[in-house]
Amino acid sequence: MVKDLRPNKGKFSADLLAILRDWQLYLMMLLPLAFYVLFCYKPMVGVLIGFQKFNPVGGMWKSNWIGLENFRFVMKMPDFPVALGNTLLLNFMGLIAGFPIPIILAILLNEIKSSKVKRTSQTLLYLPHFLSWVIIGGMVLQIFAPTTGVVNATLLKWGWIDENIPFLTEGWPWRITYTLVGVWQSMGWGTILYLSAITGINMELFEAARIDGANKLQQIWHVTLPGIRSTIVVLLILNVGQMMNISFDRPYIMGNTRVQAYCDVLSTFVYRAGITNAQFARATAIGLFQSVVGLIMVSSANFVTKRLGEDGIW
Amino acid sequence: MKKSLSLVLVLAMLLSMISVTALADDGWVELRVEAYDRTIAGFNVEDCWQLHYAQEHFGNPNKIKLVYVSIPRWTEGEVLTTQLAGGTAPDLCMTYNGDLINQYIEFDGLYQLDALLEEYGPNLKAFLGEDLLKFGQQDRDEDGEKEQWFLSARRLSVANVGNFIRADWLKALDMEKPTDIASFEAYLRAAKEANLGGQRTIPMHFDLYESNPLYNIVRFADAFIDFSQVTEEDWYAYSGLHEMLPGSKEAYRWFNKLYHEGLLYENFDINDDTATDSALLNGYFGFFSMQPDQPWRTDKNYQKEMEAAVPGAEWVSVNCFYNESLGKHLHDQYAANGLSIIIPKNGGATTEEKAIAAVKYMDWLAQPENMFMMQNGLEGINYLEVTADGIPTKVQSADAVPDANKMHAGDICFISNGLYYGSDEKNAAAIALSFDEKYQAAIVESYVHAGTDAWTQVSFSVPIQAETDYGAMIKSKQGEFLSKVVTCDPAEFDAIYDACIQDTLNVGAAELIEAQREAYLDGEFRGTFPGNL
Repeated sequence: MVKDLRPNKGKFSADLLAILRDWQLYLMMLLPLAFYVLFCYKPMVGVLIGFQKFNPVGGMWKSNWIGLENFRFVMKMPDFPVALGNTLLLNFMGLIAGFPIPIILAILLNEIKSSKVKRTSQTLLYLPHFLSWVIIGGMVLQIFAPTTGVVNATLLKWGWIDENIPFLTEGWPWRITYTLVGVWQSMGWGTILYLSAITGINMELFEAARIDGANKLQQIWHVTLPGIRSTIVVLLILNVGQMMNISFDRPYIMGNTRVQAYCDVLSTFVYRAGITNAQFARATAIGLFQSVVGLIMVSSANFVTKRLGEDGIW
Repeated sequence: MKKSLSLVLVLAMLLSMISVTALADDGWVELRVEAYDRTIAGFNVEDCWQLHYAQEHFGNPNKIKLVYVSIPRWTEGEVLTTQLAGGTAPDLCMTYNGDLINQYIEFDGLYQLDALLEEYGPNLKAFLGEDLLKFGQQDRDEDGEKEQWFLSARRLSVANVGNFIRADWLKALDMEKPTDIASFEAYLRAAKEANLGGQRTIPMHFDLYESNPLYNIVRFADAFIDFSQVTEEDWYAYSGLHEMLPGSKEAYRWFNKLYHEGLLYENFDINDDTATDSALLNGYFGFFSMQPDQPWRTDKNYQKEMEAAVPGAEWVSVNCFYNESLGKHLHDQYAANGLSIIIPKNGGATTEEKAIAAVKYMDWLAQPENMFMMQNGLEGINYLEVTADGIPTKVQSADAVPDANKMHAGDICFISNGLYYGSDEKNAAAIALSFDEKYQAAIVESYVHAGTDAWTQVSFSVPIQAETDYGAMIKSKQGEFLSKVVTCDPAEFDAIYDACIQDTLNVGAAELIEAQREAYLDGEFRGTFPGNL
């Protein structure tokens, strides 16, 4: 029962007809839409409390407006610039170390011919992604703690080192440990998008390259990489937009008081300055600040990419 | 077919989004009561013996449906903060976070309790007593008279400090129990040299609470304070900041020395509770510090488990942190108030009716025969015998009690911190009786030590705004301070110490000191100045 959908009926009624025809699909879409409205858009109104002396009992409409006082209070705290700097540095290190690895890994996985080996390696690589940071934090301590950690204990026993390697107890070594553990945790999961992009490359291109005498490396360089370039760019832009955001659990769990000056980031700072003492307005103020900077960064990255002749994300 | 299937699916999903609330309006009231959860194996706080007992003897006759809401003990403050803000907190809440309560008084988010107590809580009022009620009174409307905003649980034993040393090591070293810092240090060094705990011997360990890193450390560090240079005013002004008092620097220099000599647990500040616990149970430690009854508790018996791993190993209490300027072995002790109990308005979710039910419930708990059952459980299951005074003995450890009968006296019967038997003498006698007979002498000794030259912890009877604003920042800097001054190169100690103190002052400690000084000068303080002991 095909309905008459010719365009001469006007744009609006054509849209309406399209909806009527596939109403089940649109109905199905209501739920995800409701999710975004309820959990992503509706709470946005809440950023207003960042400008209030917020009283959770009276609610937003009964609290007094105090302008930028919360922003001033928080940003004047000596820990704020430290946390901001650490956030940017750790994210930057994560991007430098963590961004190329899934690409390389995806290409390697793609070259595996035996599907059994391929599937097993993929599963093994995905696994860490599903571990909670609490578990990973415990593992990190078991492996990297001074004296009692497996690595230090073994090296000390073998006499390869005289002193503990301060994986978790000094600034730069901690930062590197933090970054590499993050790479280990997320690299397998990160390959998924690239693998599907590689699958989308026309096989004839590889064939043509082979006929032209290209070896494996040349095929990768001239066919595979250009083929997934747009995926790489989109992910890079999205990653740059996340530079101001840092999860709470990972730095909180991996950090300790000895590297406090290196592991204190915006999320842990917000937790102290806002959540622990029910100072929700101050926490909101920092959150809003992060979002605004994030928006500026992602827009600039998108702008630059477009200037360079790529597609960008909008 | 496909279409109708998708329609069914969509409808099912939509339906599941609408929460179905049972409509029951036959005069029953549901009362949600907060219950701390310490994740004791086999003990489900939301479905425990105490709940069923209270439901049968209090709930049913009063048409009140009791519900216990489990909240993790060690993050209770944060969890309650979030729940109060969302209006989803239980109807009857308790917390150790006094700052949070001050804020909700200011927000007008709590039920005022004066009239409720008068009408529905005569037993409760009698049990708590006038002095204790005062802790929860503040003059919110500024009419010159204080109103009751929260209740403080009655703390029966105010002892806080338990310092433990290995009796078997002392014997092996042929040493007497240390009585001052020098002899304690000699013990630590000798223990290390003789490797009494094997290759992994760790002579000294203390517990470090992340939320208040210096809380336990001051037990030792206060021994170094030069009280000839500390006035009562300073003592209150620097409450929570003892590392800034004259003499304290030498305490941390001492820790630094211990650390570099390998006498202190190397990973003391890299939180790993499981590693610490296993080191403790395997007998690697020569000293540790917690609550006075900690090694012998029925829910986790460190002594028993260590003995199993290392035959002959034994913890005894030690009293060695001698302050020369005062000539005293100082110990801090709790004030008479335990945790704070509130009835939040919860944005209207907690109705007046529920507030009344909450006070009635506490009034029921406060009656001696009910409290006895809620704290002790059943004879023959939770304990085996009763003394002539009516105090249960041969108390069974948690693993010896069937899951359905497992209980936690303090957390569920929250109005009393400690087991209550009607008089101070009986309560004191009961403390040791609730433990394994074998260890009772050791426990009594530990409590005697904890009560020696004891000063009551400082608190203020007015809200300290600087604590709300900067408290968490200061604590975080103190953690960093402790790590740095203990682990740094001894040659750099002075510079790092001074820099860290300055850092702490910069993040708000300066404001806190001023605010606390002001509260002291206004007479709004509680506690003891050790110089007055």
